Amino acid sequence: MAAADVTTGENPERTATPPATRRAFIVGGNRIPFARTGGAYVKSSNQDMLTAALEGLIARFGLQDERIGEVAAGAVLKHSRDFNLTREAVLGSALSPETPAYDLQQACATGLETVLGLSNKIKLGQIESGIAGGVDSASDAPIAVSEGLREILLDLNRAKTPVQKLKIIGRIRPKDLAPDAPNTGEPRTGLSMGEHQALTTAQWNISREAQDELAFNSHRNLAAAYERGFFDDLITPYRGLSRDSNLRPDTTLEKLSTLKPVFGKTLGSEATMTAGNSTPLTDGASTVLLATEEWADQHKLPKLATVLDGEAAAVDFVHGKDGLLMAPVFAVPRLLARHGLTFEDIDFFEIHEAFAGTVLSTLAAWEDEEFGRTRLGLDGALGKVDRAKLNVNGSSLAAGHPFAATGGRIVASLAKMLHGKGTVDGRPARGLISVCAAGGQGVVAILEAA
Amino acid sequence: MNTPQPVVLEELPSLSRLYVNAATTAARRRVLGANSGGTRLPAVSHEVRNVRADVENLTAYQHLVGETASDTLPAGYVHALAFPVSMSVMNRDDFPLPLLGMIHLRNQVEQYTPIHFTEALDIRSWAENMRGHRAGTQLDVAAEVRSGSTGALLWRGVSTYLAKGVFLPGIDKAGTAHGSSTPADFSPPDPTALWQLGLDTGRSYAAVSGDFNPIHLSVLSAKALGMRGSIAHGMYLASRALADVGAAKSEAFIWEVTFEAPVFLPSRVALDIATIQSASGAWERSEYVAWNPRSGRRHFLGSVSALS
Repeated sequence: MAAADVTTGENPERTATPPATRRAFIVGGNRIPFARTGGAYVKSSNQDMLTAALEGLIARFGLQDERIGEVAAGAVLKHSRDFNLTREAVLGSALSPETPAYDLQQACATGLETVLGLSNKIKLGQIESGIAGGVDSASDAPIAVSEGLREILLDLNRAKTPVQKLKIIGRIRPKDLAPDAPNTGEPRTGLSMGEHQALTTAQWNISREAQDELAFNSHRNLAAAYERGFFDDLITPYRGLSRDSNLRPDTTLEKLSTLKPVFGKTLGSEATMTAGNSTPLTDGASTVLLATEEWADQHKLPKLATVLDGEAAAVDFVHGKDGLLMAPVFAVPRLLARHGLTFEDIDFFEIHEAFAGTVLSTLAAWEDEEFGRTRLGLDGALGKVDRAKLNVNGSSLAAGHPFAATGGRIVASLAKMLHGKGTVDGRPARGLISVCAAGGQGVVAILEAA
Repeated sequence: MNTPQPVVLEELPSLSRLYVNAATTAARRRVLGANSGGTRLPAVSHEVRNVRADVENLTAYQHLVGETASDTLPAGYVHALAFPVSMSVMNRDDFPLPLLGMIHLRNQVEQYTPIHFTEALDIRSWAENMRGHRAGTQLDVAAEVRSGSTGALLWRGVSTYLAKGVFLPGIDKAGTAHGSSTPADFSPPDPTALWQLGLDTGRSYAAVSGDFNPIHLSVLSAKALGMRGSIAHGMYLASRALADVGAAKSEAFIWEVTFEAPVFLPSRVALDIATIQSASGAWERSEYVAWNPRSGRRHFLGSVSALS
């Protein structure tokens, strides 16, 4: 093509050779231990916890007074006054106050999406370094006034005369005074996340035993990782806590099997989801330091892994076509296909354990021939995940799940695991991350050892 | 310091009880028309060992003064921890000045090492350096905070108080000049911040610091002590300024404040913070000054500087 493109006015010569993109490296991460709600962080705000995680990262990598390219983080349960949560955390930290920051929110995928967004900026040459992160507090959750009271207060603010004001105040009814607390219900279905998952768990015939076993492995693997010292350079103690308070190193399958079901009790089939195989409400924060190769080298910092790529997906759970938390089932095959990879090429699978049933339903869908053909557009099943490669250092069932902080926890841990693994059959070790999110969404990513 | 062995107290004294005691002492002295009779500071120090911060109280303090709720004790929080020990010295029967109504003129803190909130602390305090002031008698109340485990000095504070209108025999009135520029010379710069302090500012700080001095609690309680209204705690104002300086400061620092006009509540307070950097761009010092935006009257001024 010789002529310039008339529709865009762009020079075809230029668009034909896109600028070579750079690689985005994970230098390391830092998080505070995750605490069960109402526990050690009961009075700590999102900003407190994000700052604590950030300060630990700054101390670990010597980032005092450093102007970072950009910091991106977010919280799922966020008060409207915290519109600049991340920037405020930066200002409260030892980073240069000239470090820009933005907030991001994509439900439970928030943390992973901040990693992908900043990695993309690094790859595009917009920034040389970035800090991704997330935080959530179920203890310090924002509570709003009722919708009725909110409208009355706004009207009151617009009223001009005392008579108008009195009339408006007279509209307040006792029911308006009930506060409006956040919950895990889906706005369009009214079902809680647990109830949604109970539908999916039943649909894929996931047994109680399989869910309890997954939960048991999560606790066992996380406890073993702590014992090995795996988290020594990934966690900074906070408020007297040095390990995730949800971790039960001594839990047993017997103990888990005695718990009463909490979700799916009204379904026709047997209820299988308990407090033991579902994640508890948790408080916590995590951060990940990202950089170009040059920036990491200049600062004499490690390069653990690269962010190869990411993919988001969404499902129509509102009309029951797919389960609420099943979007990663669709994102993963698309991401693998883009890079010509199969499950055989993956050495670590990090599938966020929102519920044991979520992980097991996801695996079941990928192993299903019919589903692979009709829904994923493949010749058959996507494949079978080797359980020995799944969540080998524990996941959310044991660690807990402060919604937006989970992505950063997984990315930093996986980067360290990949770095330790090095190469496999002459290629860099690879890890797949899959995170489901409210609203029928999911974000997945592939990291490679550096 | 060359004082003899400290008087070791079993536990942190209750500030509210100390204030009640101070009030009854003041009443007794008024009725009997006598003061303690002494003209010398007691040559003793008081010490409380193994003091630990209460994490819930620490978090509330941090949120109130605008600090992030980190695991490190803010320097002003350590002052609040040490304050009951200092108060117990000033509440001794042989303390020559009336405790109630004393005016906090100046405060200097040297923070040598960050203090983790779980650390057991030994806190010692004594009074020293009683001297004249044009309006009465002033003295320094010093406090030292050491690690309970290693004995290392972590924090040292000196609070200068004025007993207004009290002139003791043998102590000369001092000249008028003290410290930096006089309030009359002050012309307000453009502010970098504007604080809105509500009527409850004193009560809120009393709740986290334990300093329930009636002059800070309500208009009525303040008027009972001869004030025209309640005023903000000086250490609340200084602690907010310290929080505004923020994480830029070094781990070891000197924090100074000189109080001038009291902040009557409710009030708006204008603040200017300036950062002084070394040639290499490293933080060296932050200076702050606060004033009433309407009258232009200076409330306090001070600095936070690197301690090398």
